[in-house]
Order: sequence, then C-alpha cells, then structure tokens
Amino acid sequence: MKKIIVIVFAVLMAIPAVQAQKSYDQFEVQVDGLGCPFCAYGLEKKFKEFKGIKKVKIDIETGDFSFTYPSEKALTIEAVEEQVKKAGYTPMSGRVTRADGTVEEMGGVKEAIASDAEIVTESTFVAGNCEMCQARIVKASTDVFGVSTAVWNKDTKLLEVSYDKKATTLDAVEKAVAKAGHDTKNHQAKNGTYKSLPGCCAYERVEY
Amino acid sequence: MKYIYSLLALLILISCAEKEEVAKSWQLSKTIPITGVNAIGMAITSEGIWLSDGDHNRLVLINDEGKTIKTIDSLDRPMHIDAEGEMLYVPQYGNDEVSVFVDGEKKTLVLLDSLDAPAGVSTYFKEKAIADFYNNRILYSTDGKEFISFGKEGKATGDFYYPTDVQITESHIWVADAYNNRIQVFDKKGTFLKVIGVDQKMNAATGIFVNPTEVFVTDFENDRVLIFNHEGVLQQELSKGVEKPIEVIQHQGHLFVSNYRRSELLVFDWKAIPEGENHQEDTHDHDHDH
Repeated sequence: MKKIIVIVFAVLMAIPAVQAQKSYDQFEVQVDGLGCPFCAYGLEKKFKEFKGIKKVKIDIETGDFSFTYPSEKALTIEAVEEQVKKAGYTPMSGRVTRADGTVEEMGGVKEAIASDAEIVTESTFVAGNCEMCQARIVKASTDVFGVSTAVWNKDTKLLEVSYDKKATTLDAVEKAVAKAGHDTKNHQAKNGTYKSLPGCCAYERVEY
Repeated sequence: MKYIYSLLALLILISCAEKEEVAKSWQLSKTIPITGVNAIGMAITSEGIWLSDGDHNRLVLINDEGKTIKTIDSLDRPMHIDAEGEMLYVPQYGNDEVSVFVDGEKKTLVLLDSLDAPAGVSTYFKEKAIADFYNNRILYSTDGKEFISFGKEGKATGDFYYPTDVQITESHIWVADAYNNRIQVFDKKGTFLKVIGVDQKMNAATGIFVNPTEVFVTDFENDRVLIFNHEGVLQQELSKGVEKPIEVIQHQGHLFVSNYRRSELLVFDWKAIPEGENHQEDTHDHDHDH
C-alpha cells in the first residue's frame, strides 16, 4: 500500500513537471505603419485572444511584434502573416524560431528587376488615410513583380510607382492595391476587405 | 472747462476702443520635452500632471519642466485618463479594465458589463463615462455604479466608429467619435443632441476637452487642434508645433497638447495676437477658468 501511495504521489508530482516542459515556438514579425496607438494596440489585443499564445509584445516605435506559441500546434509563419494582414496590418518581414532551434523566414526572396528593364514612373490616385494605409499601399505595390519603387503621399493621395514596363503595368499595380483594401482610380476594393481595415484606415470610398 | 470735459470724454472713448481692438487667441508659449514618454492621456491632481504612457504601459507624473517625478508601472495600455481630486481613473485598453488609483492603491471600477478596449474615461463629481472603443458605445453613470449604454457601430448621428475619448460637463456628454472624424454631443440620457466638426475634414478626432465656452479637438492625422464654440462654430486652428496630437486639456489658463510621437507637451496661452498676424477667426469669447 505504501508503494502505491508513493507511485501515485510521484505521478501527481510529475504532471506539472511535464506541463512545465511544454515547448514554445518564438515568432517575430516586423510590422509597418503602427502610427495610431489605438489600432496598434488592437493588433496586440487581437493576438492575445488566440488560445495558447504567450508573451505577446508589440513595440510601437520599432514595429517589432513578437509572441510565443505552443510547438505542438505547428503554427506556420505564413498563417501568422495572413493573420497580421487580416487584422489590417502590414507585415514587412518575420521569422519563427522553433523550439528545436530551427529558423523559418517569412516570404521568399523577391525576384530582381531584369537588367534590360525599361523603367517608367507613373502616378495614380489611391484612397487612404494614414501611415497604416501608406505601409499597406506601398507593400502591395512593391510586391508586384517588376515594380522597383512605390511612394504614396497621404495628403495628395497619389501613388508614384516606378516599374519595368516589360514586366507589369500600372493597371496591375492598381489591382494589387485594390486587393489589399484601397480604392484606386480604376479599381475598387471589395467591401469585405475594406471593412476589415483598422478604424483609422476607414477612408472615404471612391464613387465610380 | 467744457473743452476739457469733451477732451477727457474723447480720450476715454479712444482708450475703450483701443481695448476692444486688442484681439487675442491661443498661442504657443513653450514646448516641454517629456523624453521617453509617449503621452496618450493627461490628468491633473495636486501632485502635478499625470501622463498615460500607453506605449510603455505606465503612468508618469511630471513636474513643470517635464521631468519624471513618479511612475505607476505594470499597466496594460493606459489611454485617456481623468482625475477627480486625488483619484486617477485609468482605462486600460489591453485588459479591458478601468482602474482607480488613490494614495498609491489600485482599485478596479466594477462594471456589470464587459468592456472591449476602453480608450477614454471622464469623471464629473460622482458621474462617470467610458469610451468603449471596440464596442462602439459610451457607458455613462450618475453614481459610478449603475451604467447606461448608448451608441452602436455606424456613421449615422448617434452612432460611433471607434470612440476614443469622452468628457462629461454639467449638462452634456461630449464624445470624440474618432474615425467618424467628428464630435458628438449627448444629453445625460444618451440622447443625441448635435454633431460638431463634420465640415472640417478631420482625420481621426482622437482627443477632446471642453471648457464652459470652447471645445478642443485633436485632429491626429492632420497635425492640428481645432477649437470650436459650443454651437460647433470653428474659432481657431492650432497647427504651430503640433504633430500627431492625441490629447488636449486646459489647466490654470494654460492649454496643454500632447504630441504623441514626439514625446513633448505644447503649452498654449490666451494672449494678444502679435501685429501682422491674421486674427480674423481668432477673436472670440473665451473662458480662462476651468
């Protein structure tokens, strides 16, 4: 009987130890456009609601966003990237350090502009409000293959984009921007995407 | 003798006329650096100016030069705070609580309803109001215990699109309806009364302060503070030195504006407009005492 009690006691003592050994993956994402604290804190708040998430931290000044997540859930960096975008933010880079030490980076290497590229620079209207809009618009533009630079002005609402005209068109850039939630001169964002933008990005819709 | 009286009368008239011509407006007097503090809210107690440093999860008490005297740490994104006497009311966006600090002790405002990111709080004697950001509503109580709720998400009058700040005055409740880019005014039953600032093309009306004659609003993305009278007529626009303003309060005749990202407070004073500056819109009735 004494032996049974000792074994039961040992098992009971071991349970918390096993739980304490639960391993976590460390996620670090660089987020751009955290200009408005109300929306920036909202990102942190939304992630805190995920079951199992720990150590959620966002540095508003640097845009460094980090958290840990149970390794057993095998959360991918792509899923995190998608979630950050769904929350209305713009992930610029990121990586996950798995509990076993392996590291996975967010996104692939962007294909370089061809050496014989014919670069042209054009401007178009893109609706938006704030720094968060700016980050999203610029990222959506520069993610288009063939685009070398993109600059959006919050006051004039003009997007100036330089691109290889052999590889893409201004229309393709506008489509990509609209897909990210911003009405452009020729393309309207889907209502659902527009509505998922953070409050500060709720710009006045364009009438076509 | 008659001439002397006439001359005296004339001089008095001229002197009065000159006095009337002295136009005044709010003008930038000084900038107080608050190094390392990104102030989202401000409140005054007898100790001095308390700042809510949301980015660093703390409250900071500063002196007149902006030096830190005291901090209250381990908060979760404190936002637009308010004070009643020595009691500090602190809405915490991150943990959905409104905390009350008095004599270094922390209590929690008990609410039957749950908040989702409280962004602002106002206290007026026993009355309390909370801007409940993600729930798009205002909670209001006459005694700080039983709260009524008004507002829902939307663009119509009486609706909100993320309210960030609130202030109770004697007869009204004033709300910074941030992303509808306007101020809304309600009675104390939550009935909509009027809207202010819709014609000003504000871009995020994040902070509000109301004195007996004026309504001050921080227009965050446009780097300015707008001053209206209670009827909603624009009186003055402050833009000198203003960058990402998020909070405005008046204390002892001074107007304090927090430049959120620049870690500084601007101090404006009500004084004569220097010669040569346009003051057509700047002359208006004004109340110095709050």
